[in-house]
Amino acid sequence: MAFANDVRFPVDRREILGRLQAILPRHLVLAEEEELRPYECDGLTAYRALPLIVVLPETETQVGAILKACHELKVPLVPRGAATGLSGGAMPHEDGVVLSLARFKKILKIDPLSRTAVVQPGVRNLAVSEAAAPYGLYYAPDPSSQIACTIGGNVAENSGGVHCLKYGLTVHNVLKVRGFTINGEAVEFGAEALDAAGLDLLAIINGSEGLLAVITEVTVKLTPKPELAQVVLAYFDDVQKAGNAVADVIAAGIIPGGLEMMDKPATHAVEPYVKAGYDLDAEAVLLCESDGTPVEVAEEIERMKAVLEKSGATSLVVSQNEAERLRFWAGRKAAFPAVGRITPDYLCMDGTIPRKRLAEMLEAIADLSVKYGLRCANVFHAGDGNLHPLIMYDANQPGELERATAFGSEILELSVKLGGTITGEHGVGVEKVDLMAAQFTPAEISAFHRLKAAFDEKGLLNPGKGIPTLARCREYTQTRGAAAVTPPPRF
Amino acid sequence: MDAQLKEWIARVHDAAEAGKALCIRGGGSKDFYGAVPVGELLDTTGYRGIVSYEPTELVVTVRAGTPLAELEAALKEKGQCLPFEPPHFGAGATVGGMVAAGLSGPRRAAVGAVRDYVLGVKLIDGKGGLLAFGGQVMKNVAGYDVPRLMAGSLGTLGLLTEISLKVLPLPMAGMTLRFAMTETEALKKLNEWGGKPLPIAASAWCDGALTVRLAGAFAAVRAAREALGGEEVADAGAFWQSLREQTHPFFAGDSPLWRVAVASVSPPLAQPGSTFVEWGGAQRWLRGELDAGQLRAIAAQCGGHATLFRADAESKARVGVFQPLSPVLARLHRNLKQAFDPAGVFNRGRMYPDY
Amino acid sequence: MQTNLADFIKDTPDGREADAILRTCVHCGFCTATCPTYQLLGDELDGPRGRIYLIKQMLEGKPVTEKTQLHLDRCLTCRSCETTCPSGVKYHRLLDIGRKVLNERVPRPLAQRLVRTALKEALPRPWIFRPAVAAGQLVRPLLPQVLSDKVPTSAPGQSRGWPEKSNHPRRMLVLAGCVQPGLAPNTNAATARLLDRIGITLFEAPEAGCCGALRFHLDAQEQALDDMRRNIDAWWPHVEQGVEAIVMTASGCGAHVKEYGLLLKDDPAYAAKAERIAALTLDISEVLAAEAEKLKPLLVTRQHPPLKLAFHSPCTLQHGQKIKGVVEELLQAAGVELTPVPDPHLCCGSAGTYSILQPALSKQLRDNKLAALNSGAPAAIVTANIGCQTHLQAGSAKPVRHWVEIIEERL
Repeated sequence: MAFANDVRFPVDRREILGRLQAILPRHLVLAEEEELRPYECDGLTAYRALPLIVVLPETETQVGAILKACHELKVPLVPRGAATGLSGGAMPHEDGVVLSLARFKKILKIDPLSRTAVVQPGVRNLAVSEAAAPYGLYYAPDPSSQIACTIGGNVAENSGGVHCLKYGLTVHNVLKVRGFTINGEAVEFGAEALDAAGLDLLAIINGSEGLLAVITEVTVKLTPKPELAQVVLAYFDDVQKAGNAVADVIAAGIIPGGLEMMDKPATHAVEPYVKAGYDLDAEAVLLCESDGTPVEVAEEIERMKAVLEKSGATSLVVSQNEAERLRFWAGRKAAFPAVGRITPDYLCMDGTIPRKRLAEMLEAIADLSVKYGLRCANVFHAGDGNLHPLIMYDANQPGELERATAFGSEILELSVKLGGTITGEHGVGVEKVDLMAAQFTPAEISAFHRLKAAFDEKGLLNPGKGIPTLARCREYTQTRGAAAVTPPPRF
Repeated sequence: MDAQLKEWIARVHDAAEAGKALCIRGGGSKDFYGAVPVGELLDTTGYRGIVSYEPTELVVTVRAGTPLAELEAALKEKGQCLPFEPPHFGAGATVGGMVAAGLSGPRRAAVGAVRDYVLGVKLIDGKGGLLAFGGQVMKNVAGYDVPRLMAGSLGTLGLLTEISLKVLPLPMAGMTLRFAMTETEALKKLNEWGGKPLPIAASAWCDGALTVRLAGAFAAVRAAREALGGEEVADAGAFWQSLREQTHPFFAGDSPLWRVAVASVSPPLAQPGSTFVEWGGAQRWLRGELDAGQLRAIAAQCGGHATLFRADAESKARVGVFQPLSPVLARLHRNLKQAFDPAGVFNRGRMYPDY
Repeated sequence: MQTNLADFIKDTPDGREADAILRTCVHCGFCTATCPTYQLLGDELDGPRGRIYLIKQMLEGKPVTEKTQLHLDRCLTCRSCETTCPSGVKYHRLLDIGRKVLNERVPRPLAQRLVRTALKEALPRPWIFRPAVAAGQLVRPLLPQVLSDKVPTSAPGQSRGWPEKSNHPRRMLVLAGCVQPGLAPNTNAATARLLDRIGITLFEAPEAGCCGALRFHLDAQEQALDDMRRNIDAWWPHVEQGVEAIVMTASGCGAHVKEYGLLLKDDPAYAAKAERIAALTLDISEVLAAEAEKLKPLLVTRQHPPLKLAFHSPCTLQHGQKIKGVVEELLQAAGVELTPVPDPHLCCGSAGTYSILQPALSKQLRDNKLAALNSGAPAAIVTANIGCQTHLQAGSAKPVRHWVEIIEERL
């Protein structure tokens, strides 16, 4: 559906086009509908908007000049990386320019001694690890889209991954970000040192969804590869038992390298693609990874197996070699798009809840699936309590998207009620902008707007995303008031 | 709402209206840090206690005035800890002060800093609004990451009232090794080891000796001990504690103490006076009357910055405690202060004079 | 993905197939990561996801111009995206349909039409192509760079000829192909000698010709279908007499012949035969892998000097036919050391006539590929498709050969 952006700008298209064409060679400025249309959405196809112009700069000087032009002419601007995001964060603004950073794809430096890599924002997440591999190093955050998603986007969304319980999120693995403010000034957040002088602005740039600055260079930490990693597949005949097993593992004092869960619809979707050999009769599978020295891993795997067995696992399979381990993970990492094999469209939710509430949430999702008459596959970063229910629908059937959206909203509202959040790693984007009102008070939303204004007074960077206007908040509480669950008393 | 919070909100309102400054203070253990505090005292120690603690969730929520010692004792009882080993610098240190100061201890290079463990905060902003950001879950990207911004903000953006932190199990095994080597050799070794999957939890070099702490699973520590060699140090706990709390003889005396944060691979800083290296080479402590301008230029070249960590008020005022910011960053700092505390109520000038 | 196909195509076989393909795409963007042209150009429109969108717009009845044509032309049809796609999008089929519709709507300028006509008329006809290569060698210095690169610098590699008399009960057909006999006659001869050693007689059906892929990808899908019907007619008597397989020594042809069933499904006279032909078609690597028991002992009878080779797996082998690791294993069994090759999934830029029609991109891809292939300092490069072989050879001082020749030499 077209997203009704309530933040609009009176823009003179010809004027800004002229300015941009003076900055960039012709083939790097797209302005005809035919070539703009494929830019109308990112990994979330449910919301779309046609941009006025798309630019594909190649140098920092060009980026600075583009920003200056947009700032002067008050033209909104949406930065875009690989556009794999699932919250519509890179969806264009209909009055604005899409600033694609896809041509910024150089790995500028890999320094094995300081264990850092300096990369341009259009470098793919996996490419960093591949480049670091000869030195026994890798870039730890591994979002499931790591084959395609870029570092710039990872910083903008503070991306997580399947190993972040132990190795942290993007914010924990980025040392420095170089970029430009909306008025075209170059700026650096963070340092090669472990901290920088003044406020920790790097912390808010991570996860700022392209609302605060445009990123043109990122310095990331590289992590030594563990000597060995092995994953246990634990199958369960009941999804809730699997949910409880997650809490049991943590309670046993184990911090697994990764702790993930898929339910039956999810394994059925991925198996034809990855041929991982998942047991398709099981109701749920947990992937529980141990890494370290061989002795350490052997010890930990035994402890994990004991806990999982006690939690009711019906069978356990331990990866016997690296190829098998990667195959087991491949299914998990390809789970979202693989669901495309069993449904034309899906919405992927991203709520996070306290781990102990997992079983409760699963039960609620099953009920909602019946209520809305839509199937749902569940893929979880179980260790972090981060849920990715995939609500399946058919956009060609009138009313299904609306039902899917309502289904998703209920899951997220429940996430807040259970003491969690509407988004763990995918970002708010356009998808969840209204739901921010379920999690934050108008005073808090206003504080976010003031923070935004500290960086971007005219509100030109990625407008309408991330933080709802107060009008939207009011509308949300009025229309969903009854349905929306009131968060627990907070003060 | 809690009576204490109501009272604070009223005080902030009044101060904002009257254009008065408030000086937020917990145990006062870090009064020495940053510019000399000014303004009317706002004591947070009355607002204390652990609000919730679920060891299986790896999350604890505490009121800002809670003594750090009390929190650490509660965690230890469940076999958990604050992995970043925050320094107390005094008996009264509070959790709020820990976050506001943003200081981390010996294990920082291995496990991350305070900011990496802050999941959520509640705070009173400069207009007296009580706001909550973040939450009690590991992953949360709804809204800007204000909780992490608070870490190290020296109370300049708001009055922290409640904080949620990620906690971790205590390492199962530990061991300390010592090697005789020069600073240059130590820096080289530390960076080389850093690139290997070794369970190095902390490191310190001074006076020709490199001390390394291993922590983790028994098997991993054993294997690392084999790989690294060196002399095993018995009862090393006191040594690491003396670093964390700066009671080690290196930190004794009145001469100025500089903290220089640099890229870990930076060569020895070649400054007069003695040096203490921590964090795998990324944190260098220097003692003596040093040329601030020169030192800051060197620190910047090495990818970092220099802080006049301990000194008399006169020196702090003369050279500034923190490395000056670029014009763009300085503007963003002023704008953020304006966003959170437009009347300049909180900890005026504690970080930068115009802020 | 939501679709709303226009009336002109909605209820046609093409329309239904396109709609089904579009609806499997969830727009995740994984495909862009392994798309050679997206990696070079960084424009959504030059990656599979963007091209799918361009085709979707056109099929939904939106105006279409040479802009769409430019981005579809830039696609190599390497099908790397299909290997990457977790949703199972049959991209190349959508592209075939898209190109067909586009061709009806956006006429090409005269110059482009002439080049394309020349290519699709000359290349598939050995009687024009072979003398042309010889002539080309004479006038090589006078040809524009794009064409001179295609003309081998020396006479085609010496062939020791086909086995004198091979008359085993096991018989397999082999496709002669259109350009291979002129450029690399030893490939099929070596294959025949090799199979003869393990008790299989290989023979060509003289009436068969180009597999049809060339024209199919040059806006001449109808002509291509005629090529395919002619081949089926040529092979059918032998099929009825019980040939075991139809062997392909050029993976580009193999990928196409394996699709005969799909491409002729709407032709009642040929659908069943095409299906059968496709099922009988095997790449030479599949044949040898199945005969490994017989082959391996023959490979260890003689001592060979150590040989370091880099293998370039053609897109039509690894992505089109999904054959991975098979050639590598055979070469290793023959005592060859294979050097590591970074980004093995990326296309070399040959892609049929792409190297002639998109010279700049093609050359960039070739340079990148040769750098990757040479990074392990091999003595020579081996591949499995005549197109890749000549394309890489044009930029390489090291010999580029068909891998089957190496195996045969080491018997």
